[in-house]
Amino acid sequence: MFGAASTKRETEEAASTGTTPPAPSAETAAGAAPAVHANRGAKTVEAKSVDLFYGDFHAVEDVNVKIEPNKVTALIGSSGCGKTTFLRALNRMHELTPGASVKGHITLDGEDMYGAKVDPVRVRRLVGMVFQAPNPFPTMSVYENVAAGLSLNSKRMKKADKDAVVERSLRGAHLWDEVKDRLDRPGTGLSGGQQQRLCIARTIAVEPEVLLMDEPCSALDPVATLAVEDLIAELKNRFTIVIVTHNMQQAARASDVTAFFNLEKSGDPGRLVEVGPTEEIFTKPKQKATEDYVSGRFG
Amino acid sequence: MPEIRVEYQEELEALEASTLGGLDLVSMALSRTMEAIEHQDVELAEMVVADDDRIDGRYLEVHQSLIALLATQSPVATDLRLISALLHILKNIERMGDQCVNICKVIPMSGHEPPADPEMLKTILTMGGQTRTLIAQAKRSFEDRSVEMARDLVRQDDVVDNLNRECFRLALEIGDDADRREWAMTMLLTGRAIERIGDNAVDIGEQVAFIVTGLFREFEDASRPS
Repeated sequence: MFGAASTKRETEEAASTGTTPPAPSAETAAGAAPAVHANRGAKTVEAKSVDLFYGDFHAVEDVNVKIEPNKVTALIGSSGCGKTTFLRALNRMHELTPGASVKGHITLDGEDMYGAKVDPVRVRRLVGMVFQAPNPFPTMSVYENVAAGLSLNSKRMKKADKDAVVERSLRGAHLWDEVKDRLDRPGTGLSGGQQQRLCIARTIAVEPEVLLMDEPCSALDPVATLAVEDLIAELKNRFTIVIVTHNMQQAARASDVTAFFNLEKSGDPGRLVEVGPTEEIFTKPKQKATEDYVSGRFG
Repeated sequence: MPEIRVEYQEELEALEASTLGGLDLVSMALSRTMEAIEHQDVELAEMVVADDDRIDGRYLEVHQSLIALLATQSPVATDLRLISALLHILKNIERMGDQCVNICKVIPMSGHEPPADPEMLKTILTMGGQTRTLIAQAKRSFEDRSVEMARDLVRQDDVVDNLNRECFRLALEIGDDADRREWAMTMLLTGRAIERIGDNAVDIGEQVAFIVTGLFREFEDASRPS
């Protein structure tokens, strides 16, 4: 699934832009329809005994969780509890931090993402990431922003094919009607909410199987937030979605499953305290720590 | 970590106290109602009817505050279950007050010196006393979040139900005198109203179980009594 390892430059480029460039496939190399057109469907992500470190610092301890396909899983918890670190481990971005390391296993439909022969760029192509602040490429048009992921590795893609992917991705991100008449204008000229949906379009253009979102609405106004939440609800029909959020109501509204991370005290590693159906976490959590957190009783 | 949302917690606690205080008002109304029946005190009965505005006022005030809390504080988990239960039992309390009013409105219809049957009157007064015990126990089970005490309300309510059946038996045996039969009829209405107050107390107990367990289950299926 993941293919052979690629160059370090590609790895960093993909990670720093938030795009997950597709690796050239046999089909594209032969000039046939690009592989990105194929919808492989959502996949199950499973973490088994996962420990995450920054050098000597033990950031996350012993996480075991199965993230189901076609569902939105929200990771909640106070700052420093390790939820974003864990999210970044789900597409091998954690290891880009100098000194960072991972123990345990994270699998995508049973295949180990951290296997010796696995290409991290390929992992990030299958597991896309949307970041906290909208980060469209400043010098690129709306069109180029969406096509960026495709262009990075599929230079021989036909213009008509690329047009189709751009339109489908913008439609998928609920943005097409708003930008179809200004595809050649700078992506940064859009509103904050539109920019974030543009970044989502860019991520889904390469047809990943899993979408990771790190507080995707924290920089958006309430209306733009609800638009992105509507989009998330629709995208889960095609992808496995994991979202980190500090907004309790967003987790309650937008997710099917909620996982609560916590740390006993500053300096301790974060742990997954409880995971369950969102409705249950917000009406009858099993753990007192979860109850205290979702009720806003303790910071 | 420091405790936060202190004001919200205090407001929620105050609203719970205010709601449960409504049970004290109902208990007092029922006590006066029984006294009015015992002494055929029409003025006291009128006072109970007028005083029901206090119970209704409590209902409206607390209901509004709970809705505001839902809208502004987004309560979840135990807090959400508590607020849901409070909204529910506010209605129970308001209905209990209304039943006292129903009884008191019937009292003047029996005339100045009704031909009371001592045994039936005693049964009704015993029902009233037992129901006040139920109200007090419902309140305490709520305050203590005691499912055991809440479940015991069913047993206590069976006593009220049996006394109500006893009233029926006594009414059937009251004889042919038209006035006595009419009085017995008003007592049957009274017994029925008291019995409903007891049922509302059991409903409050079910809400206690909901707060504690997160599951709502009727303690007894009214359509298929055991």
